[in-house]
Amino acid sequence: MQPVTLQNVVDSLVDNTLDMSLPFFRPELALCATIVILLFVRIFKGGEYIPSFFIAILGSITALILAFPAEGFESWATMPRQELFTGMLVYDTLTAFIRIFLLSFVVLFIILSRLTGIADAKDGQDYYALVLGATLGMCIMSSANHMMMLFMGVEMASVPSYVLAGIVKGRQRSSEAALKYVIYGAGTAGVMLYGISLLTGVLGSAHLPTMAASLADLDIPNLLTTAEGRLTVMVLVLGGLMLGVGLAFKLSAVPFHFWCPDVFEGASAEVDAFLSVASKAAALVLLLRVGAGLGLTTAELPVADSADPPRVIAVAANETTAPTQNAVLVKQVADSQDATHVGGGPLSPVRRFFVILVSLIAIVSCTFGNLAAYGQTNIKRMLAYSTIAHAGFMMMAVAAAIALAGRDVVDARTAVSALLLYITLYLFMNLSAFAIVAFLRNEMHSEDIADYAGLIRTSPLTAVMMTAVLVSLIGLPPLAGFWPKLRVLQALYMAGGPLMTFVLVAAALNTAIALVYYLRVAKTMCIDPEPDTRGAVSLGFLPAAFVFVVSVPVLIFGILPGPLANWTDLAVSQLFS
Amino acid sequence: MDSIYWPTFFFYLFSGLACAFAVAVLLSSNIVRMAFYLVLSLGATAGLMFLAGAEFVGAMQLLIYVGGTLVLLIFGVMLTSQERFVVMKTWAGDWVKAFLAGGALLFILAYAAFSIPEWRGIERTEADAIVAQPTVTPIAMGLLGARTDDPSRAGYLLPFEIVSVHLLVVLIGAAYLARAKRSRSSIEKI
Amino acid sequence: MFNFPLANLLSEPVGVAHYVTVGAILFICGALCMATKRNALGVLMGIELVLNGANLNFVAFGSQYLRNDGHSLGLDGQLMALFVIVLAAAEAAVALAIALNFYNNHDSIDVDRADQLRG
Repeated sequence: MQPVTLQNVVDSLVDNTLDMSLPFFRPELALCATIVILLFVRIFKGGEYIPSFFIAILGSITALILAFPAEGFESWATMPRQELFTGMLVYDTLTAFIRIFLLSFVVLFIILSRLTGIADAKDGQDYYALVLGATLGMCIMSSANHMMMLFMGVEMASVPSYVLAGIVKGRQRSSEAALKYVIYGAGTAGVMLYGISLLTGVLGSAHLPTMAASLADLDIPNLLTTAEGRLTVMVLVLGGLMLGVGLAFKLSAVPFHFWCPDVFEGASAEVDAFLSVASKAAALVLLLRVGAGLGLTTAELPVADSADPPRVIAVAANETTAPTQNAVLVKQVADSQDATHVGGGPLSPVRRFFVILVSLIAIVSCTFGNLAAYGQTNIKRMLAYSTIAHAGFMMMAVAAAIALAGRDVVDARTAVSALLLYITLYLFMNLSAFAIVAFLRNEMHSEDIADYAGLIRTSPLTAVMMTAVLVSLIGLPPLAGFWPKLRVLQALYMAGGPLMTFVLVAAALNTAIALVYYLRVAKTMCIDPEPDTRGAVSLGFLPAAFVFVVSVPVLIFGILPGPLANWTDLAVSQLFS
Repeated sequence: MDSIYWPTFFFYLFSGLACAFAVAVLLSSNIVRMAFYLVLSLGATAGLMFLAGAEFVGAMQLLIYVGGTLVLLIFGVMLTSQERFVVMKTWAGDWVKAFLAGGALLFILAYAAFSIPEWRGIERTEADAIVAQPTVTPIAMGLLGARTDDPSRAGYLLPFEIVSVHLLVVLIGAAYLARAKRSRSSIEKI
Repeated sequence: MFNFPLANLLSEPVGVAHYVTVGAILFICGALCMATKRNALGVLMGIELVLNGANLNFVAFGSQYLRNDGHSLGLDGQLMALFVIVLAAAEAAVALAIALNFYNNHDSIDVDRADQLRG
């Protein structure tokens, strides 16, 4: 142990933390400051007259502004990957993108909470502090580069969410949802931690790139030839599966989906929007980070082929990104001996394991979610199953990205870009769906699909917007939901191989299955006769404006996906390098 | 036969206590007794941590876990346990399935652990030669972001600072739920 | 010499494997607790056991007394164990508040009575 002087510590703090890490951490710092201000503003005289909504919205907008790159989005094209806080977090374009995504969502979400009245004057500060605390956790989760931050991010995102699920204290169903959520959530987090302890113990580090390096040193194909080696690999597989339990819970992937419908039905619709959009997006990025972190080392990344001109993969309205089919065919011939097509290198077994596991879970989640959504009578429960199905669809993009990352970085980036496009458009679709459910609950005191009958006659704007959102959730053109599904299918096609082809077929079939139950709700609203008992249903001006603002992008990006797709392409331009 | 190596003796003592009381937690059907067994099991785990040279973590385990978290749990037991809820029955079929699954997992983990040569333990001569090093100073330095034990590893400044925000948020949430409820018309009607 | 495996049981230092076995027993008891207990607080106690199994692993994998190969977790193990203790305390506080809230609404913390949400 070398002697440490106070000077060394201060130097490292100034060099690494203040100069290098904190400038990239400003949005999170703004969130922390907002939480503290929300709590302490009432200590001061007159502070109780400042509405907590203003503090929360100001804080989250400040954080969002700080998250935007100072030199414009074009600077992402050349932004290098950096490790912050001596390796705890990673800052790359993906972090920057997902942070803007999460903070934009939270700004919209705070406005929604204010409009629906779930956060009233008395409890507002607690509610907003919980929302911002969970968002902080999600930001950390999606930029984790170290097992400590992975677990801490998951906990920081989950624990406030447990309270949010039970935010309506007096309702039996609400407290039941919170209890189920906390019990299953804490249990799976414990299992995940045990898996992390096995993985870090065998690999001797908790820093993801170091873990990947020592995985590569282990030389798994060689280990599998001896009995002792096989047992070591088995401990690693057990650890990986247990880590997967925690991630699958956050993603509500089958077989850890059981909490999702119950919690969504019991919690209020606003909280459901938070759980289904922000929490899922952060968990998907975390899944990608784990897959890329453990399955790739910088040493084995394929060098981008200079003979192959960089393919511009922007989706234009009239041009559906035909992949250069010849290149795909050549690649398929090149590694046709490998069923999963994950490329070579010492970590290819890790990638193969990850890809097989994630794609199987993705298929099962997607199919199960779509099938179970059929018989639902409660709209929130139906949307919960729809969330499970969409999470499965998005996991397919993650599987394709990791499968491609070992072979062709450019194609892998396309897959991640498809994922980012998906979660961005999913924000608009699900936020407006749950916002409509919440506003209708305030008007009709019901969340049953049957009670929405004939809504188009009393509240045409709501019914039309809801129908548009549902059609977009199916993935039908010309609405926005079509493009990300198309690009995920395209990424799966590029990944090639029997497994990915199977996933491709399953994904395409699922889109057809989903058609029926979404359209059933649309039919109830637009065609069925109106019940006699119901009075006039009309949203106020502000709620209607909110629904309009959030669901109009579903129409706009359906016709003009180009700008958004360019943006997600830019956000992945430095990934895997 | 060599003379007894006392750390090993204490390891078996503490691990026997920790495992026995963990099994007792599992088998007991009385929530109050479960809480008591859990305290003893986690206390014995703290002893195992001392034996592994992690005296600071062991002390924190006793102070925060046994002294704080478990007292909180016991508080919860006292607030909620009425006669009809204290005893919990589990069906025999559940037990059989649970023990089969648990036994298989335990066998796999233990067998794999003992089959890895580096994990079987060091020689006694090596163990006697190890100079005990204090761990509190390097841990404190690690929490400040400077790793004195191994500069190539990550410093824990960020989790150390951010966990305070987390604790604040969690306390706000717990206090919110524990406050007396008010009725909120439109949302509660459903 | 007569080489009975238990002969030097007490005379040789223990290794990581012994700790991992104890950690596995704690983990499995905790996991089975979560699966079989009907009481929310019983499930929480199971979770505490699982977290302790993981913590014991962290400490053991980083201990210089238990292993001497290059793959030791070093002080990372103890640091992570510390944070797990803190996070577990936070989680227990929220879980308890939620359980008490449920109890106030239902007069029970039996998880089997949490059955309004089905379908």
